[in-house]
Amino acid sequence: MLRLRELQQDFAAAVLDGAQNGFEGQIQAVGLSGARRLQIYRNNRLLNLTASLRATYPVICRLVGDGFFDYAAAQYIAAYPSRSGDLEEFGGDFARFLETFTPAAALVYLPDVAQLEWIYRQIFYAADHPPLDLAALAQVPAEQQGDLHFQRCPAARLLQSPFPILRIWQVNQEDYVGDAAVDLTAGGIKLLALRRDNFEIEFQPLAAGEFSLLSALNEGCAFAVACERALTAQPDVDLSACFSRHVLQGALVSFYLQSA
Amino acid sequence: MTARPALAVLGPGLIPARAGIGLRADHYDAVLETQPPVGWLEVHSENYFGAGGKPLKVLERVRADYPLSLHGVGLSVGSIDPLDQRHLTALKNLIRRFEPALVSEHLSWGSVDGRHFNDLLPLPYTEEALDHFSERVIAVQDVLGRQILIENPSSYLQYVASVIPEWEFLVEVAGRTGCGVLLDVNNIYVSARNHGFDASAYLQAIPLALVQEIHLAGFVVNRFDDGEILIDTHSQPVCPAVWALYRQAVQRFGPVPTLIEWDTDLPALAVLVAEAQQADAIVLEERHAEAA
Repeated sequence: MLRLRELQQDFAAAVLDGAQNGFEGQIQAVGLSGARRLQIYRNNRLLNLTASLRATYPVICRLVGDGFFDYAAAQYIAAYPSRSGDLEEFGGDFARFLETFTPAAALVYLPDVAQLEWIYRQIFYAADHPPLDLAALAQVPAEQQGDLHFQRCPAARLLQSPFPILRIWQVNQEDYVGDAAVDLTAGGIKLLALRRDNFEIEFQPLAAGEFSLLSALNEGCAFAVACERALTAQPDVDLSACFSRHVLQGALVSFYLQSA
Repeated sequence: MTARPALAVLGPGLIPARAGIGLRADHYDAVLETQPPVGWLEVHSENYFGAGGKPLKVLERVRADYPLSLHGVGLSVGSIDPLDQRHLTALKNLIRRFEPALVSEHLSWGSVDGRHFNDLLPLPYTEEALDHFSERVIAVQDVLGRQILIENPSSYLQYVASVIPEWEFLVEVAGRTGCGVLLDVNNIYVSARNHGFDASAYLQAIPLALVQEIHLAGFVVNRFDDGEILIDTHSQPVCPAVWALYRQAVQRFGPVPTLIEWDTDLPALAVLVAEAQQADAIVLEERHAEAA
């Protein structure tokens, strides 16, 4: 008789890997065969995980169609098995998977759209955070301001793509009305994804300087360094306006002083 | 006695012995706006493991108005894999924050060597599995610092190795661990049809004191040329045969907090509320029958 550990390993080999290990012989064949009964568990898992991917990647699903999506999902599920009992954590490698998924190679923007949808999900569940303490910030002496380090809101993320992924995402929303045409030659985009106080998630297009400023802060650069990078990326950037905007809208939520 | 909101009678902590519904994200707004007349709410624990955002905010708001039950689907209590401490910690934090009246998990396993099925897989009902599962329930209860309920699963296969009937296995686990039983009447019906045992006998085998919650849901029938099998999809209304089995359960166990579970092809909130009212009506009818 199989020990419990072997039974679970053999079940997994039969159901996940399609191994011909004779495991159907461990199942009582009353009415339906053991093989048929195992197939039910194989199907249930595929349906559950595919449904989870569809819920996370609705725009990818619309872009490629249900049948193609299910095919891609089945390949993904086999290549990247679920590693958590919490289904909300499943699907984080889908963008990476799509990069090398040759049947979708012609849709070059697909991985970046998937990345945007995964970020949407991460932000949906991200921690709440109170806004930046403006009074405390005002206490920092002018000569130390360059040494300030800022931390982004847990529900804020930066992303960029050489493709117009925001336009693609917008025209593929269920409630979108209007011209659905997307000009793929329109160029790339830099985005801030941010969850607002009412839990709405916004994708804000950023100019090069603004994006560089936030990226540098996000990487842990001091404020002075971040400002230099922003000016390099975009000499006419209005640093004070864009900094205040991101503090006020809660994209930057805390700070500390650390001299270089 | 005039009907009063459950909270007025019991306070917001305890779960009343009437019907509740499973709260799913698609019903958040409807539940907050309409405050449906159900006795309590149950949510899947894992749906609130996130650090913040709308789900936790909604749960906070509904928790102020309804008693709450946390129902886990991913802890994989029956696996040989070590218990996932991160999962357990998230559950413990959720319990601390929301003070649910009931916390439940399944008589099943779901992962091996770190790979998860995200499904409720049947255990072989052997002495070895009984020892293992009981140890794990004790370990979970120790970490959580409270009793949990264990739910009987729907299953589509039985192992050659199984030597203990499921109902005996479940009762023995409760005896060894002090856990309670979440009796899923639909799962009993589905497994009874799939494996050819007597659903009523299953009910009769469970001691009265163990059952702290009942689940009701709908299934689908998959037909093949060599037979048919019932799949527990939570995608349908409760079927007449399961309502009849529920009536038997009420006759045996008395009024028990009873949940209408619906996960796939979720209908309007009103459909769930109507199902909950049907469950309450059965309890009332049985009370009157008893009094007559």
